[in-house]
Amino acid sequence: MSTSSVILQVNDLVKEYPGASTKRAVDNISFTVDTGSFFGLLGPNGAGKSTTIGCITGTHILTGGQILVNGYDVVSDYRSARRQIGLSSQEYNVNPFESVRHLISFMGGYYGLRWRERRERVDELLEQLQLTDHAHKQFKELSGGLKRRVVLARALVHQPPLLILDEPTAGIDVEQRRSIWTLLQELNVAGTTIIMTSHYLEEIERLCDRVAIINHGQIVSDRPTMAYQQAGRTLEDAYLAITAATEVTREP
Amino acid sequence: MNYIGLITLVQREMVRMFRVVTQTILAPLISAALYIFIFGTIVGTKIDEIAGVTYIEFVFPGILMLSIITAAFAHSSSAIFMHKYFNIIEEVLITPFSYLEIVIGYAVAGVARAILVALGVLGIGVLMGAVSLVSLPLFLFYVFGVAMVFSLLGMFAGLFAKNFDQLSMLTTFIITPFTYLGGIFYSLTMLPPTAQTLTTLNPFFYFVDGIRYSMTGITEAHTGIGLLVIIGLIVGIGGVVTQLFRIGWRIRQ
Repeated sequence: MSTSSVILQVNDLVKEYPGASTKRAVDNISFTVDTGSFFGLLGPNGAGKSTTIGCITGTHILTGGQILVNGYDVVSDYRSARRQIGLSSQEYNVNPFESVRHLISFMGGYYGLRWRERRERVDELLEQLQLTDHAHKQFKELSGGLKRRVVLARALVHQPPLLILDEPTAGIDVEQRRSIWTLLQELNVAGTTIIMTSHYLEEIERLCDRVAIINHGQIVSDRPTMAYQQAGRTLEDAYLAITAATEVTREP
Repeated sequence: MNYIGLITLVQREMVRMFRVVTQTILAPLISAALYIFIFGTIVGTKIDEIAGVTYIEFVFPGILMLSIITAAFAHSSSAIFMHKYFNIIEEVLITPFSYLEIVIGYAVAGVARAILVALGVLGIGVLMGAVSLVSLPLFLFYVFGVAMVFSLLGMFAGLFAKNFDQLSMLTTFIITPFTYLGGIFYSLTMLPPTAQTLTTLNPFFYFVDGIRYSMTGITEAHTGIGLLVIIGLIVGIGGVVTQLFRIGWRIRQ
């Protein structure tokens, strides 16, 4: 594993969806994420956030450019790159009929965790995420908040150095959202680098130390969170101003 | 090699299979039992021996092969298709599996289901006096080999299908007719010359003939052809499916 201070390096990433009219969802973007940071990726719906995450994690095929995770190329050294990442997807991409324990345990197995180690890790995560009482329930029986926690537990099972969270608190109540914030802050303090997308600007503002804004497939801003909050503005003010400005410059 | 990941993948598939055990194990056993009862007790007693064996002994290897083919194909095709449908396939795409390991994991799970069904069918066959054995190594080769061929073919079908209709297309237009026309219920000598020639072009004929030879000693084709067909199909279909996973055909955006 690389000891570099940069855990994620995205260079000139291009992603096009072929079809009758080829759509360029990500247009030549470059950015880096420092090891140990809490990085926010913001943008309107369809801006390219999830596509960028898909290219990093392996669910999408890159059209061009290069992505390095802890120094490992996601195309030529994809297995090493994938060991570095834990992904909590926006959608619940799990078998709805599977039990919570199985869902977390199987994920640990895919990452090569031995049986005993896996059992201990699953117990630890069930307790940490307050899922112990739901361990034997099927995923489909859970509430939205519990489902989010299961998906998060799966992402954490192999203790990845880079955690990628795509809308991790979408559709859950305030109490559960705050409990997830606390957990994420603890993980970050313990050394896990976190990349998060969210439509809740308040949580990005609260958790992230750096924020990039993506619009129409391009990074239109990438700076420390504090830099967006100058002159009494909130991140939301800055975000709206930046995305509106991007729309104006795109006018024919 | 991600051995623990591979074992986990197979384990997950076994859990999935036993969750719907009526559909995955009991249903094919009931079908096989009906075939054996009808062709052994009702029709079989009215038909003379074929090449020195009773009719039920003659057709039983074909019924066994039919059960293996159906179970292996159904398991891997439904696994891949449903995992695509619910986007569960993401689990194996984001974790450190090589594409060959993904193929091996799903294929072995399909073989495991076929073997469980085969054991049940053999048990029924023993009870009905339909089972004999001439060559155990050859028998095991045909059982495992054919299960692997159809597990891999099922994976291809699962990748290919964009909806339930397309998923059933391969079964309806290829698997079922080719299997039934592969000589399960009849000897090649019962057919007119043109049909005999056409049957020898059907690869399924060599599967049925091979397992029948291993169980009864009766063969209507060269056994070596069956062995070559099976090995060739495993390598060929396995290679194609691995390459399809590598390029993310219909599973990666």
